[in-house]
Amino acid sequence: MTTNPRSGERLTPDQVQSATFSPARFGRRGYDEEQVGVFCEQVEHEIVTLLNEKAALWEEVDRLRRRIMGGTADAPGTRPEDAHVQAVRILSNAQQTADRYVADAQEYSRQLAEDARRRRDEVLAEAKLHADRVLGEAHAQAARAAEAVTTGPAPLSNGEWRDRTAELAYLRTFSEVYRTHLRAYLETLLHNVEDWEQTEKSSLAAARAELPFPFPSPSPPPSTSPSSAPTAARLP
Amino acid sequence: MDVQRLKDSFARVAMHGDAVPLFFYSDLFLRHPETREMFGVSMAAQRDRLVHALGRIVSSVDDLAGLGAYLQDLGREHRKFGTVAGHYPAVGTSLLATLAHFNGPAWTPELAADWQAAYELVARVMIEAAAEDAAWRPPFWEATVVAHELRRFDIATFRVATTEPLDYLPGQSVSIESPERPRLWRFYSMANAPRDDLTMDFHVRMIDGGALSMVLTRGLTVGARLKIGPPVGSLTYQPGSGRDVVLAAGSTGLAPLKAVAERISMLADPPRVHLFFGARTADGLYDLADLEKMAAGCPWLTVIPAVSDEPGFPGERGLLQDVLARSGNWREHDVYLSGPTPMVEATVTQLTALGVPRSQIRAEDFGWSEP
Repeated sequence: MTTNPRSGERLTPDQVQSATFSPARFGRRGYDEEQVGVFCEQVEHEIVTLLNEKAALWEEVDRLRRRIMGGTADAPGTRPEDAHVQAVRILSNAQQTADRYVADAQEYSRQLAEDARRRRDEVLAEAKLHADRVLGEAHAQAARAAEAVTTGPAPLSNGEWRDRTAELAYLRTFSEVYRTHLRAYLETLLHNVEDWEQTEKSSLAAARAELPFPFPSPSPPPSTSPSSAPTAARLP
Repeated sequence: MDVQRLKDSFARVAMHGDAVPLFFYSDLFLRHPETREMFGVSMAAQRDRLVHALGRIVSSVDDLAGLGAYLQDLGREHRKFGTVAGHYPAVGTSLLATLAHFNGPAWTPELAADWQAAYELVARVMIEAAAEDAAWRPPFWEATVVAHELRRFDIATFRVATTEPLDYLPGQSVSIESPERPRLWRFYSMANAPRDDLTMDFHVRMIDGGALSMVLTRGLTVGARLKIGPPVGSLTYQPGSGRDVVLAAGSTGLAPLKAVAERISMLADPPRVHLFFGARTADGLYDLADLEKMAAGCPWLTVIPAVSDEPGFPGERGLLQDVLARSGNWREHDVYLSGPTPMVEATVTQLTALGVPRSQIRAEDFGWSEP
């Protein structure tokens, strides 16, 4: 942590948000990163709440003080400045609610995409393994057959020749069956991927149609997009 | 103007964290409801940007020369958002109201006058820069998608044609906005040197949960319209050093370096160029066929694909920085780096450790990482 709590400086939500922790020493167990992150978020939220409450109380004190000094002329809440600050607060709360919804939706979408990517990798790895096994087995069978034919110990008798021919036929059939299996398997996989694409498209369209406003244009955390410019500050 | 008093009062306000920009925007939207639609639904990132910009301005308010360039950029940058000179006084009013609110009893008429003067100065620089910019180019360029190709389930390349010419240096980037995600601008690099037919190529990788990258990879069709902001960035080819060149790209970080390679191909006497293209798996080398075609026609260009997480890959295996380290001695080369942040950082470290002067390494941090 970069802030020294004894320096007398107050901790700001900003500092909590940008706090970094040194990695644990080699061979020692560090803190769970996620827990630290969650905790910092709570601390930040707490401090913001406290500061907002403090500001509200200060305003209330100020309003009361002015009321006492100015006699009884003002009825509570009728001064235009008060009304404006009230309105600002209401709008700010609404905005924070919207921000939270957008952040939740975005996080949900991120998790879905992450899961989908992981499942894709698993499916592909499994398919590759399966294909390798099928090929390996077919290859081994064929090699054994070839060896039997070429390095047979003695000239084949008629009966043995018949057996070998039969085995060859069997192997041909066998490899055909394997090929068919493999093709069917791969086609199923392909089909699954297409299904997934269809679902994605239709659910996106459906989700868009259900929303009451053009939803959402959230800004992902700055670390997600190939961005070559400094995060451009934007006043309004 | 009492600079120290200004800084002190800002520090008092900054204590309140996110509550400050929250108050500012609510105040602005209440006084000028029409400004609300210049922003997206979520304002969280926007508030961070405002605080960052204000902090930057206040901290260097006594260094007007250094601040000037920043403010001019800021002014120009705002044109594409639809900001006009008339918006500035409105912002000033809300800014002062916010500062007054959070300064509480410490807010005095003198302090208010200082802030008013400082803001007017800032606004004037921004407005003037925007006006100068407007004299020679549009706030953004209208573009139409003329080709789109999904190279992997999450990597796409697409080509757009702009209606107006857009001058840029190979290696630069532009911000892009799609009508599917209004008011959400993201930076992407052009993957080609400027062309006479006003077309530009982009490479985009879908980021999990990334709002715009999802649209650009899987939701874009030929004929789609996009808005394109002015070009930025300094990962551009610097001729004249006499040194040979290494281009090292991770994933879609390839785009600006492909543009740089194209730029070099236009030289009468091009230097030797080694282009390293790294990805986790072979299917991440989404543009290798194109690069090899390019190399076939350019005897000075060598393309070296490298894959880190696929044991069966027939070519170079390992992290890009390691492949680079064992492939040669680059001390007499100019090195251009682009890719995921961890890759760029590790490669800079590796190269400087190998004795490549830092001044010969040009890297652009795109601020992203591969999942």
